[in-house]
Amino acid sequence: MTSLKRTTAGDPHGANISSKVFVRSTKSGKVQKIVRELYLRQDIPCSSTLCSLCLSNAPADANGAASESPQRLRNVPVVPFVLSDRPAGTKTFPNGHYLVPDTNVLLNGMDLFEQASAFYDVIILQTVLEELRNRSIPLYNRLVGLTRSGEKRFYIFFNDFRLETYVARDPGETINDRNDRAVRRAVKWYGEHLQQAVKAAGRARRCPSIVMLSNDKDNLRKARKEKLEACSLHDYVSGLPEADRLLDMINEIREEQGSRTAHGTLFYPEYFTQSKMMTGMKAGTLHQGLFNVSPYNYLEGSVHVPAFENALIVLGRENMNRAVQGDAVVVEVLPKDQWKAPSSKIIEEEVLNRNENADADEQEAVITEQEQKALVEEAKKTQGRSIGGHPQPTAKVVGVVKRNWRQYVGHVDTTSVSLSTNEGRRQQTVFLIPMDKRIPKIRIRTRQARELLGKRVLVTIDSWDRDSRYPVGHFVRSLGELETKEAETEALLLEHDVQYRPFPKAVLDCLPKEGHDWKVPANKNEPGWKGRRDLRDLLVCSIDPPNCQDIDDALHARPLPNGNFEVGVHIADVTHFVKPNNAMDSEASGRGTTVYLVDKRIDMLPMLLGTDLCSLKPYVERFAFSAIWEMTPDADVVDAVFTKSVIRSREAFSYEQAQRRIDDASQKDPLTIGVRTLLMLSKKLRKKRMDAGALNLASPEVKVQIENETSDPVDVEVKRQLDTNSLVEEFMLLANISVAGKIYGAFPQTAMLRRHGAPPASNFQELQNQLKVKRGLELRTESSKALADSLDTCVDMNEPFFNTLIRIMATRCMMSAEYFCSGTQSYSEYRHYGLASEIYTHFTSPIRRYADIVAHRQLAAAIDYEQLDSSLHSKGNLESLCKNINARHRNAQMAGRASIEYYVGQALKGQIVEEEGYVMKVFSNGFVVFVPRFGIESLVRLRDLAVPEPEATFDGENYVLKTTGSRTETIVLFEKVLVRISDQKEESTGKRKIRLELVRSGGLS
Amino acid sequence: MPLDTSSYSFALLRLDGRRWNELRRIHAQISTQAAADGSSYLEMGNTKVICTVAGPAEVRRTGGGSADAEVKVEIDIAGFSGVERKKRTKTDKRVAEMCYTIANAFSSSLLTHLYPRSTIQITLHVLSQDGSLLAACLNAATLALIDAGIPMTDYIVACTAGSTSTYSSNDETADPLLDLNGLEEMELPFLTVATLGAGEKVSVLVMETRIQIGRLESMLAVGVDGCKQVREILNEVVRKHGKKVVDSIIE
Amino acid sequence: MPREPGLSLNERSFILQALQENIRIDGRSFDAFRDLDLNFGDEVISRISAEVAKPFPDRLCDGIFTITTELSPVASPAFEVGRQTDQEVILSRTLEKAIRRSGALDTESLCIIAGQKCWSIRADVHLLDYDGGLVDASCIAVIAALQHFRRPDVSIEGEDVTVHTMEERVPVPLSLLHHPICVTFSFFLGGDVVLIDATLQEELLRNGELIIAVNRHGEVCQIAKLGGVAIEALTLLNCANVALTKAQWITRFISSKLEEDLRAKTPGSLLAELSAENER
Repeated sequence: MTSLKRTTAGDPHGANISSKVFVRSTKSGKVQKIVRELYLRQDIPCSSTLCSLCLSNAPADANGAASESPQRLRNVPVVPFVLSDRPAGTKTFPNGHYLVPDTNVLLNGMDLFEQASAFYDVIILQTVLEELRNRSIPLYNRLVGLTRSGEKRFYIFFNDFRLETYVARDPGETINDRNDRAVRRAVKWYGEHLQQAVKAAGRARRCPSIVMLSNDKDNLRKARKEKLEACSLHDYVSGLPEADRLLDMINEIREEQGSRTAHGTLFYPEYFTQSKMMTGMKAGTLHQGLFNVSPYNYLEGSVHVPAFENALIVLGRENMNRAVQGDAVVVEVLPKDQWKAPSSKIIEEEVLNRNENADADEQEAVITEQEQKALVEEAKKTQGRSIGGHPQPTAKVVGVVKRNWRQYVGHVDTTSVSLSTNEGRRQQTVFLIPMDKRIPKIRIRTRQARELLGKRVLVTIDSWDRDSRYPVGHFVRSLGELETKEAETEALLLEHDVQYRPFPKAVLDCLPKEGHDWKVPANKNEPGWKGRRDLRDLLVCSIDPPNCQDIDDALHARPLPNGNFEVGVHIADVTHFVKPNNAMDSEASGRGTTVYLVDKRIDMLPMLLGTDLCSLKPYVERFAFSAIWEMTPDADVVDAVFTKSVIRSREAFSYEQAQRRIDDASQKDPLTIGVRTLLMLSKKLRKKRMDAGALNLASPEVKVQIENETSDPVDVEVKRQLDTNSLVEEFMLLANISVAGKIYGAFPQTAMLRRHGAPPASNFQELQNQLKVKRGLELRTESSKALADSLDTCVDMNEPFFNTLIRIMATRCMMSAEYFCSGTQSYSEYRHYGLASEIYTHFTSPIRRYADIVAHRQLAAAIDYEQLDSSLHSKGNLESLCKNINARHRNAQMAGRASIEYYVGQALKGQIVEEEGYVMKVFSNGFVVFVPRFGIESLVRLRDLAVPEPEATFDGENYVLKTTGSRTETIVLFEKVLVRISDQKEESTGKRKIRLELVRSGGLS
Repeated sequence: MPLDTSSYSFALLRLDGRRWNELRRIHAQISTQAAADGSSYLEMGNTKVICTVAGPAEVRRTGGGSADAEVKVEIDIAGFSGVERKKRTKTDKRVAEMCYTIANAFSSSLLTHLYPRSTIQITLHVLSQDGSLLAACLNAATLALIDAGIPMTDYIVACTAGSTSTYSSNDETADPLLDLNGLEEMELPFLTVATLGAGEKVSVLVMETRIQIGRLESMLAVGVDGCKQVREILNEVVRKHGKKVVDSIIE
Repeated sequence: MPREPGLSLNERSFILQALQENIRIDGRSFDAFRDLDLNFGDEVISRISAEVAKPFPDRLCDGIFTITTELSPVASPAFEVGRQTDQEVILSRTLEKAIRRSGALDTESLCIIAGQKCWSIRADVHLLDYDGGLVDASCIAVIAALQHFRRPDVSIEGEDVTVHTMEERVPVPLSLLHHPICVTFSFFLGGDVVLIDATLQEELLRNGELIIAVNRHGEVCQIAKLGGVAIEALTLLNCANVALTKAQWITRFISSKLEEDLRAKTPGSLLAELSAENER
């Protein structure tokens, strides 16, 4: 009996119901048998404009049928017919042809199908589409995009629903064989159908050939046996006009195999057991260290271990063995024949693996074929000969001691999302591409994939099992649209682990009850005055950046009767308000530091303290912690006194205001004279420091001008250094050094100090070599003094910026300074390399740094002002404190830089600027350019230079990259180049990025 | 993973090869269980339901009953009916809600006042599920009640209607779909509609998915139209059966 | 079995007669809600609680969200303990469909470590006094409570999870994707008269009901006309549009009440002091 009323009416065959039975296994391993009905029909058109038969019974959608008008234009179907009536011909098919590609052809040669010069009039069979979707969602999405665009006349023919082309799976037949047979059946039907159509039309039209494309030899053979036109992709392309160019686009690796199986390594190696790792480390065969990934090459990691001077290199996914940036790992050194030089090539994940399927139902290879190819190429270059360096020891990860996974911010890879119009209720697996390039893609299962597109998303990694190429995680929340200020700001705070959430209520109880009305008590007998010196009559002032609200420090200087000077540095007395171990203290120590972004400040202490009660604002009385020296006119310190005090600042200057005041000779008031004295002394202090070997380093610093109303960036300018900047700096250094000595004297085991290690000579090797080869300059690194002196000699008469460039690069060779507890190092290790001081601490910014709060407490105890809290007596406690604030400090710096980077990007948005830049680094397939005007640094890849990518020879010994072919350029290290800066939205990621294009290299006039 | 419902727009074909306005195959039989007062077997595609009716029978409970007959419904969903074998508890609220709906719908369409202080027991056995379960149950119950000879104002017939649009997009090109199968129900928004008689009077309307209010009208229209088609089919079955009965009596 | 006393014949004919004359016995117009009072605890109580639990094995990346309803004899002698009545089934199913299935609460945001730990959010609905409009009132109560609720913050370090106390860290609100509101329509006199928010007396007399859950964005989240008198399809569509305007009004009402509550609990000045993110 039939029930399909509408179709049966005009259908002599009646409804044909078949059912499709298949077995699938679920994620949890259950096997399900699925039975589905199939309604076979005859009104599925061939979509050829040659055919009038199909046109007469083309389907209608709800709107078309809703009108039910008999006059409905019968020859304008809802889904228009696309296949041309005069398709292009080739040598082999002079009558024109329609292509019917098999799945393997699409998998290998999707790029070909996107070409504008060929591959028109393509029939995509339902069977093929389904298979393609199984194999690669990104490819499926590309194909659907091609079909939808209409330009290339692609038609999806639902062969499994058409009565004549439906093929039932025979018992014992594999699904692949059935699909092959279905493809052949459809090709055959099309051929016969078009013959009829052409005959029916009665016109003298030549009937186009239907050409099956397949790389499966068996399928080709069977097709030919059935007298169908069939050829391999390679053979077909060979017959096309631009064959040579097109042939290159066929994916070689997949070419050789005809079948539908994947190959590759299946599992990551298993981790060693705990005991095996312990034994290995004791025996010295295994090493533990932190895992770091190269920002330029995601397949190259490094692990610094005590046993080796240079970091061990970990190459490739398999050796990295599921270690993620920051994990504490155990590694095993590989045999010497596998050692290699650090990479000279940029490898980016998004480029290599863009066609991967996020849904990993099938077993997958750990290393994709593309990756393998890239690695092999790399290895070939470095085998035997060494280019640009000596082979370095390599290692593989054999275990993870501690995962350092945090929450990651990123965005959903658009191509991994199945863009179906379904309810969205169904869970999909998609890739999340983290903002941090060193973190691998993360597989996320979510029901909201479509909503998450174009958003900044926060995710967590849950696990990384041996059988999964990528870690698996879950969605935490969405931060908002990509590129909006809110989302990007929150993203960078999260990425750098900045605690930006509000202070908990418990902190409220720790604040003074008077709130903003708090005042220094008028009565000197009040407990607050105990032990304080009354310095209110001193002419104190502060000098800070403009609009500074959290004023940590103020200064004064006055002549003494003996011809010496009294100089005072007064620091906000934060520890008067922040008592040890209460809620506010633990919150502040957790935050570690205030974080400064371009338009925002993430406070370490509540605003009430930071910008009001502690801040040494002008014209009001404030508690302070003062360091007062007696100095000779040559700036030699005669005596130093530390005391808690009460001060009243007379003025809050900005650097510029102070400078103007000093320069204005008409100003003769005592305050101005005091500031002039300070400047005079600071210059002498600075000279002494420089003579002792302090370094003058440079980092690219720019400032973003922001429009007040909208907080939109307006302009970018390079920061200027005024004398008053270094005035403040010198006295702060002096205060810090003095305090460091004092608290170390009082607490030799537990003083909170700051050190800057001397960089190992190997850090400078590369730069030394570069300078020697390119400029014949010598960089001496045996001491900070030698380094400072030799840096001064690195000048290029024609290129004033050259020296700054070298200083920037030298800065990157340095170690980073760190807080430490005095008892954990020997005295010789206390040294601050950059400042050339044998001891140092941070004392002068307690409002924004927790280390200073600790130093304040220790100093207060050292001068017997109060008892030291027991927690600051404990070495272990201080050590963990240092560890946290070191990390927070680093993160704060990076967040600040990222914020500037974002705003510079926004300021440049939509603009195209040509600027001078300098080549900082040369790779074999690209180079890094630094643009001082905007403080930006970006990669220029070979393939960005011209299309097609120019040939290049890389001379690693001389740091020269020569391109030939489509564009001839010579890129030389340190040379000035002209670049065009524009912003660009990356298609695959939706991120806006600064893009540098090379306008001209070398020889700028 | 085969294609999903997004492929509809390529050629206006649904996952099983149907067009937007086509019902699945409906197969129905009456008087399948000789022991019951009324019985039916109904297939809508791969959804298969048996229904038996007992009554009207006297209420056993002491203390009388109400002035109208009480309609009671029980649904038994076989463990093997779905893709995964599931054991349903008696207190499954989803099933309880379906029972309530069916009972409530027929209480209004049956002439219950003719049978004071009695019950009409409808028992449904679900043998196989592939979407439109509530609709299939309502249709099977209508046939079984007719078989039991209980007077009613008209047929209650039901079917489902969906939409190819997602809840978030209010896109005008979305097509309404008639009679969803299990897979479509999982992916698309849909509603179950039951009408009383050949008009547009809606007795049951259940929707459990989110959808833009603007899409409702076309879905409802397609559903009501589907109900009319179902009614024709059921009517055919009843008349064929009636003719057979009459023929056998004449003989 | 204690039952709600049925209406007397007099009452019955009086109410129906009045309806026929376009009059409701409490003087409201047909499409008016009774006064809505929301002070986080009254008539219907909805309480939200959260605990850390292990996620379901088939939903590894999701948290757990359950709504339980309890109709206790406190509210009406017709309710019994421990017996599942049709009314209770309909109530809990409607809330389930309108709030849980429609994805009002983003359960993915409740995941802490997939497959191991997640938040389990439980909404308990207790009815205190019953005079009709059970579903509507319960739905409003749950939605308001979900918006009002704050769960403790958690942090994850490597594979360790720390749940912070309310004092330690500011607790976080739940991530609600939309706010569905249920509106019940009652049909009388064979469907000629349609009322909103029927009282108990009216409910006893009605021929059928239609519950529509809709959010203020115009998305219908569930429709339930479970039998009863057959109604013209067009009338039903009209009801959906009326429900939308009602839902928008109620949503605004809830958010204004929530703001009031927030203001009452935290004086504005102190709140500002606690912000860590400040303009430069």
